[in-house]
Amino acid sequence: MSEEKQQVSRRQFLNYTLTGVGGFMAAGLLISPIRMAIDPVLKPSSVGDYANVGLAVEDITTEPTRVDWKIDQVDGWYESEVSKAAWVFKNEDDEIMALSPTCTHLGCVVSWEGSEKYPNEFFCPCHDGRYYKDGTNIEGTPPTRPLDRFEHKVENGMLYLGNAQERGGA
Amino acid sequence: MLQKIYDWIDERVDITPIWRDIADHEVPEHVNPAHHFSAFVYCFGGLTFFVVVIQILSGMFLTMYYVPDIENAWKSVYYLQTEVAHGQIVRGMHHWGASVVIVMLLLHTLRVFFQGAYKKPRELNWMVGVLLFFVMLGLGFTGYLLPWDNKAYFATQVGLEIAEQVPFIGEYLKTLLAGDAEIVGAQTLTRFFAIHVFFLPGALFALMAVHFILIRRQGISGPL
Amino acid sequence: MHKGKGMKFVGDSRVSAERKSNIPKDYSEYPGRTEAFWPNFLLKEWLAGSVFLVGFLLLTLAHPSPLEGVADPTDAAYIPLPDWYFLFLYELLKYEFAAGPYVIFGILIIPGLAFGALLLAPFLDNGPGRRPHQRPIAVIMMLLALTSVIWLTYTSAAHVDWETRAEQNKPIPPSSVEIDTSHEGYASYESNCMTCHGGELEGTPAGVPLIGTEYSAEEIATIAREGIGGMPADQFTGSDEELEQLVDFIISTNEQ
Repeated sequence: MSEEKQQVSRRQFLNYTLTGVGGFMAAGLLISPIRMAIDPVLKPSSVGDYANVGLAVEDITTEPTRVDWKIDQVDGWYESEVSKAAWVFKNEDDEIMALSPTCTHLGCVVSWEGSEKYPNEFFCPCHDGRYYKDGTNIEGTPPTRPLDRFEHKVENGMLYLGNAQERGGA
Repeated sequence: MLQKIYDWIDERVDITPIWRDIADHEVPEHVNPAHHFSAFVYCFGGLTFFVVVIQILSGMFLTMYYVPDIENAWKSVYYLQTEVAHGQIVRGMHHWGASVVIVMLLLHTLRVFFQGAYKKPRELNWMVGVLLFFVMLGLGFTGYLLPWDNKAYFATQVGLEIAEQVPFIGEYLKTLLAGDAEIVGAQTLTRFFAIHVFFLPGALFALMAVHFILIRRQGISGPL
Repeated sequence: MHKGKGMKFVGDSRVSAERKSNIPKDYSEYPGRTEAFWPNFLLKEWLAGSVFLVGFLLLTLAHPSPLEGVADPTDAAYIPLPDWYFLFLYELLKYEFAAGPYVIFGILIIPGLAFGALLLAPFLDNGPGRRPHQRPIAVIMMLLALTSVIWLTYTSAAHVDWETRAEQNKPIPPSSVEIDTSHEGYASYESNCMTCHGGELEGTPAGVPLIGTEYSAEEIATIAREGIGGMPADQFTGSDEELEQLVDFIISTNEQ
C-alpha cells in the first residue's frame, strides 16, 4: 500500500518535470517567431511628415477648395505613391482649416456643396451624410463625428499638411 | 478543476482509451540511453521529428512576411532579415533546420540500415522512411528558390536543366516544374512555393503518420 | 467489458457509459529494465531534446542565414552551386562517364540505381540475419555508396572559396547613395571605373563596391594607379588633376 502510494507521487513528480521541460522547449522554439509576428504592434508608428500640397497660403479663400497631393508611402518592403486629398479653406477666425474628405460614417468621399439641395454644407452621396462648413456632422444624418482635420503648417507661404486627426463627436 | 474538465470531456467522447494508447507503451532496456549509452543512436529518429516540428513552426511564421512573387520575394526576405525584430533568427531556424534535418535523417537511416532493422516484418516502414527522405530532399530543393536571390535562381536553373535531360519526358517534366518551357520566372516561383508549402508538406504529414503508426504496431526492433 | 445486448451508452450516442480507469500499465513484469514511455522515458527524451534545441538556437544566432543579391538572370559571371546535400549529384555530373552523351548515366541511371536499391533494401537483403557480418554484401555496398557520396561532396566543396564567394554575393542595401553626376570627378569615374564598380559605386562581380570603402584619399589614388588584389594596375589613365577630382568624387559620395 505504501509502495503504491510512493509510486503515484513519483509519477506525479515526473509528470510535473515533463511539463516543465516541455514548456522550456516550447518557449525556446516559439519566442523568436512570436516576437517576429508581433513586431508590427511594437514598432513605433511612423509619424507622417508634413508634405507640401502645392497651394500658396494667399490663395486660400473662405470657399472650401479640394487639394490633391501625393506622399511616398513605405509599407514594409513595398514603396508606393499614395494620393491624398483635403478640403482647404479659411474659417471666420482667418484660421486655415484642412478637412479630410473621408466620410466618418462608412468612408465614402464627401464634397463641398455636393448636393444642390444643401448649399454651404459638405455632402456625402452614399447615405446622404451632411456636415457644416467647419466639418461638424449635422445631427439626424448618418455620420456620428466631425470630419477629420489635417495638421497643417505654413512654410515660405506654402501650405504643408500632416496627418489627419480625429475630432470629438458632436 | 483540470480533472473535472477531463472527466466532462471523457464522459462525452471517451478519450481515456485514446490517451492510454498514446501514453502506454513500453520502452525496452536496449533502446534506453540511461542504461546503455550506445543507445543514443535511437535518438536520431526522434530528433528528426523534432527538427521537422521546428521547420513547420518557423515556416508558418515566415509566410507572414514572405511573398512568392519575383518582384517582391527578395525584397520581403531582405526586409524580414534586416527590419523585423528576430526575423533573422526565425529565417535562420528555417535555413539551418533544413540542413540539420538532412543530417539527422541520414544518421537515422544509417542506424536502421546497419542494425538490419528493416528486415521482416518491417519492410514497409523502411520504404515509407525512404519516401520520407525523398520528400525531405524535395522540400530542400523547392525551398531554396523561394528567396529569389542569385543562388536560388541559378541553382534552380541547373536543377531544371537536369530535369530536361531525362529521356522522352524531359521537356514536359521541365515545363511542368517551371510553369513555362523557356522562362524560369514568375510562374516557376509560384509553382515552387505551392509545392514547398502545400504539396510536399501534405505528403510529409501523411507519410509521417504511417511511419509512426507502423512503429507502434510493430514495436521497436529487438536488440542485435 | 460489457458487450452485446444490455450495453449502456451516454445519451443516444455510441460512447460507452462505463468509464475505463485511467491507470497506466505496470511494466514490472516486462523483461530487463523496461520502463514506461510516458512519463519516464519521454522526460529523458525531452531533456535530450532541450539540449539539442539550445545547441541549435546557438547555431542560428552565431551564423545568420545567408541571403545573396536579388536574382539577376543576366549575371553571366555567377557560378551556381546547390545546397551541400545536393553537391554529390552536382559533382557526379562533372565526370566523363556521367556527362555529354552519357549524361543519362549521371542523372538517371546511377542515382536511380542507388536510390532504388535504398528503397528496396529489405527485399535485396532478405536473409534472416540482422548483424552486419551476417550480410556482408549489403553492408559493403552501403559503405561504398556512403564513401563515394562523402568523397563527391568533399571534392565538390573543397575547391570553392566559400568566404570570397559569400563576400562577392552579398546583397547591396537598396538605400544606395545619390550620385552627383555634375561632380567634376564623375566623368573620370564614368570612363575609368564604372564598368567594374557599377553605376552607383555598388560594385559588380568584377569589382568590389566603393560604397563603404575604408581607404583614405591617398590610398584610393594609389589603388587607381597601381591596382590592388584582383584589380590590375593602370586602370586609371588620366592626369593627376583628374585623379584628384576622381578621388574627391568617391570620398564625397561616401560621405553622404
